[in-house]
Amino acid sequence: MQQQTKTRRDFLLASAGLVGGGWLAANWPGVAEAAKAAGAARAEGATFRNLEPRDAADLEAIAAQIIPDDDSPGATEAGVVYFMDTALGSVFAGQAAGLAAGLADLNAKVVAMDADADRFAGLDPAKQTELLRAEESSAFFGGVRFMTLCGFLAMPAYGGNRNHLGWDLIGFDHRHAWQPPFGYYDAKATGKGDGNV
Amino acid sequence: MSDGIRFPTREPVDFVIIGSGAAGGVLAKELATSGFDVVVLEQGPYLRPSEFSHDELDVIFNNAYSGGTSGDFPQTYRQKETERAEVAGFPAAYYARMVGGSSVHYSANFWRLRPLDFNERSRLGAIPGTGFADWPLTYEELEPYYTKVDWEIGVSGAPGPFDPPRSKPYPVPPMPLKSSGALLEQGAKKLGLHAQPAPVAILSQPHNGRPACIHCGFCMGFGCEANAKSSTLATMIPLAEATGHCEIRPLSTVYKLETDADGRVSDVLYFDAKGASQGQKAKAVILAANGAETPRLLLASESSRFPDGLANSSGKVGKYLMFNSHSSANAMFEHELNEYKSIQCTRIIQDFYESDSKRDFYGGGVIDARPFLSATPIFYALNGLPPDTPTWGPEFKRALSEGFTRRLSILGSGTSLARESNSISLDPELKDRHGRPALRVTYEDHPDDLALAAFLQDRCVELMEAAGASKIWRDPVEVQSITAHLLGTCRMGDDPQESVVDRDHRSHDVPNLFICDGSSLVTSGRGQPTMTIQALAFRAADRIREFSKNNEI
Repeated sequence: MQQQTKTRRDFLLASAGLVGGGWLAANWPGVAEAAKAAGAARAEGATFRNLEPRDAADLEAIAAQIIPDDDSPGATEAGVVYFMDTALGSVFAGQAAGLAAGLADLNAKVVAMDADADRFAGLDPAKQTELLRAEESSAFFGGVRFMTLCGFLAMPAYGGNRNHLGWDLIGFDHRHAWQPPFGYYDAKATGKGDGNV
Repeated sequence: MSDGIRFPTREPVDFVIIGSGAAGGVLAKELATSGFDVVVLEQGPYLRPSEFSHDELDVIFNNAYSGGTSGDFPQTYRQKETERAEVAGFPAAYYARMVGGSSVHYSANFWRLRPLDFNERSRLGAIPGTGFADWPLTYEELEPYYTKVDWEIGVSGAPGPFDPPRSKPYPVPPMPLKSSGALLEQGAKKLGLHAQPAPVAILSQPHNGRPACIHCGFCMGFGCEANAKSSTLATMIPLAEATGHCEIRPLSTVYKLETDADGRVSDVLYFDAKGASQGQKAKAVILAANGAETPRLLLASESSRFPDGLANSSGKVGKYLMFNSHSSANAMFEHELNEYKSIQCTRIIQDFYESDSKRDFYGGGVIDARPFLSATPIFYALNGLPPDTPTWGPEFKRALSEGFTRRLSILGSGTSLARESNSISLDPELKDRHGRPALRVTYEDHPDDLALAAFLQDRCVELMEAAGASKIWRDPVEVQSITAHLLGTCRMGDDPQESVVDRDHRSHDVPNLFICDGSSLVTSGRGQPTMTIQALAFRAADRIREFSKNNEI
């Protein structure tokens, strides 16, 4: 699979939201307020506001390939697609067409691959993986990956990271105050406890 | 907006200070408490600590504090003067636009320079092809002001084996050890090096009426809602406003300094919050807009009398830009470090500070351990895993779940040689939203800076090995195109041909114009410039007060 970006410039650019090409990056500023307002208004299980249901199903399937729901919750259970729906309805509105085009390209390849499926979401998971492996260097995939990570790990107010499932996976405990010891090694060094923090 | 005093724009105030950051905040407080009337023009908004949040998407990715990555304030970057500069998606000169400036969002590492940083050129000799020079000041002259920074700004720390002389102890003890610091100590011990508590402008205990840090972990890039980070927003600005002599005027973007028939600055032209053009008259002006915006404004203030830009008879405005050299490596450990808690950096190693003739390059630096870009979840997910990790799928998820609490970075920060070709200039084509020429950054690290970065990275890796890392990977050592350290672009000196300001921060060309911020530095130091910028600001205020008293402005 594709390696992570290598250069210092690249990883800073990636961090700035520019990974995966301009369609995602161009209108990033402003996402916060608009997305938050929309995200807060949505109850869990509500219908999509901006995504066509079939596009949402495809994006959800791609996100599930990126962060699978296996022995622990992944992108689907964390509601990543709702984050995407929120974002695409606000500052990414101008990019929705580009995303739809990317999905259409992908679905054309789905049809070529499997006559029984007409959409990515309808492919069996092994074939989904195979297809994405061929697409993983594309701007489209990079953009969806970036949105998936944001949807998995941003504040739940944005619509994803439901019940802190994303934060739980990586071990991030969001509190406003901590006291030392913070971790195993400082606890050991300062003789505070046995490192079980 | 402040509820305090308002000065009319058409009557000259004693001082207009441009920029409210590390230097501007100090100067405002010092001059206002001496009874001078001061207007501070700040291009960013006036946010209160209660408005700061842990919203990573907004603060880091939406650049809430740096004005956004959109077309409003574009910058261009190029490596060499012969190239056409391209728009940088992420600003090449990265700084916060807000009251308090970058002192609000920085990580607050506060290292003093040492005596050798001021006279290294004399000690080591010239380095051909560079502007390597001594300062017109000595460490001894600046020391009282470093101590002022310690006590008035609020610095936590404890003496280390290589520290320069200090006239007073730290006001508060060092911040509690983190696992990154404990591992750095372990590694240093095995290698015969010396890890010492990191001096930081974050309070370990209450001081000057402000509370101690609550270790929330959102320092780098974020504002401190606890008011424990010693930004000028938390420390200096409230004192300045309390005098009744200081007006902080936010959302005021200065675009030109106007001079009168005597060649003195008379009017500071700016766009107000609504984008309308305004002018604030001043008896004297202090430019403290940072090492990028300060030279940009001087260059944009050209006139028939000053055709190459204001204060630029030397031609050195914008030149000798220095970023500090940087390198980093990363490691995983068996047990949890939880580097997302508390401040960035609790231990530093200064064994490699001095330039060593046994090495075949000039330079020295300091090593520290910290979460760096992986202190927050999304940043971590994008950057924090080893490069051989799959980027999606079950293996990616497994790596994602294991790395956040078990990783650290070790950084080498060090000298940059001053090169005249590294600069801030006006882009000849691109304009910002006000129609001003965009800021253009030209930067290519000197080969010695890159050699130093590689050398320090090797030491970082050795430390990780000695500390028992289970996996280690290096970040590339390469020319830097993004920085938060903006130094040297209006350097101070005694020779008007070779410098922009004199030893008292007064322009060689314009008697009532003072310039004090990162642009004043003659050498880069070893990596953390803010403390020196603030010591210079306290000293400049003393000198300016003196001149004013003697009617010498």
